[in-house]
Amino acid sequence: MTPAPHDTRRRNLRIGAVAAIVLVLAVVAGYVASSRQDDPVTEAAGAPAVGLVIGPDDADHRVVVYEDFLCPYCGELERQTSAELAELAQAGRVQVEYRAFQLLDHDYSREALLVYEVVRRQGDDAVAQRLHDLLFEQQPSESGREFPGRDELVALAVEAGADEQQLRDTLETAQAGIWADEVTEAAQDAGVMSTPTLLLDGKEFTDGRTVDELAENLLAAVR
Amino acid sequence: MTSWLLLAIRAALGVLWVWAGAVKITDPYGAVLAVRAYQLLPGDVAEVVGHLLPSLEIVVGVALLLGVLTRASAAVSAVLFGAFVIGIASVWQRGILIDCGCFGGGGFDPDAADKYPWEIARDVVLLAASLLLAWRDGGRWSLDARLFRRTPEPDPQPDPHADPHADQGALA
Repeated sequence: MTPAPHDTRRRNLRIGAVAAIVLVLAVVAGYVASSRQDDPVTEAAGAPAVGLVIGPDDADHRVVVYEDFLCPYCGELERQTSAELAELAQAGRVQVEYRAFQLLDHDYSREALLVYEVVRRQGDDAVAQRLHDLLFEQQPSESGREFPGRDELVALAVEAGADEQQLRDTLETAQAGIWADEVTEAAQDAGVMSTPTLLLDGKEFTDGRTVDELAENLLAAVR
Repeated sequence: MTSWLLLAIRAALGVLWVWAGAVKITDPYGAVLAVRAYQLLPGDVAEVVGHLLPSLEIVVGVALLLGVLTRASAAVSAVLFGAFVIGIASVWQRGILIDCGCFGGGGFDPDAADKYPWEIARDVVLLAASLLLAWRDGGRWSLDARLFRRTPEPDPQPDPHADPHADQGALA
């Protein structure tokens, strides 16, 4: 016996609704599972510094910047923020920790980090900060063909105020590589997979579509 | 003949979606980064899209493979391809060099500018294929044919699959 057309239509609608709900629930389940798996980079208050620290410990805000010296967006972020962050740090409003590490699989990335790390560990934070700023001011293009070599990088460090002989001597040893690996592993352990990665007061800061917006919003948040 | 063609398109699109979603869903953070690299969406929206997309892709793929709510699923598939075309065209136009992240990956890619036209062409073809399915139906061996009964009375607007537009609403 054929069911009435009306019944068939209702049955079809019911089955369609059930199928649609099942599919939507499957998408939602996948979404929830995916969000749970993804733990954003965070950091407890009072975690020990591993990078270059600018500004007092009792500042209102604490910013951590993970960056690679070759990453173009890091260069862009630095152009937008470094001067103002330095001012705010001096005024005691913010403490900034720059955590340079090697993200990109590139010789320049490695060389710049080696030179920078040796300078930083020589202990003069002002020199390290100047070199950090210089490296980003004179950042080569990631897609370029010519990259500054060790001599140019050492010259930059000397310009920043580093002792050339001491720097060259340490670069000759394995210590430079050990330091560079140390900061890179620390960044990897923290789950940093892209640069620039920003932390504001221990939480990953991602507020912005573009790097310029990110920079603007970060400054607005700490001003 | 057409029904075999529809089946072939359904199977090809289904496999593609499941594959594209499966390689991404194992790396949620990477998926979010790939979306962020387009610099189109605000941070928190990019995060939601990054987490939602892989699971949506897999479900659309499975639905197309099985032929469940084929027309609605194909419509979602078409919307996604349309969004990808816009996204890739937008980064191309802005001079941003990124891996499209279509099948995992993402982020900076120095050769990206050479790939964009091909990726757009590919997605346009897939968009057209999705629209064809959404317009017609799942063709042979689709579960829809088993789930839904034809309405026996002569209908002024014969529609073999109940009301797919209602389903679209529910999916969207």
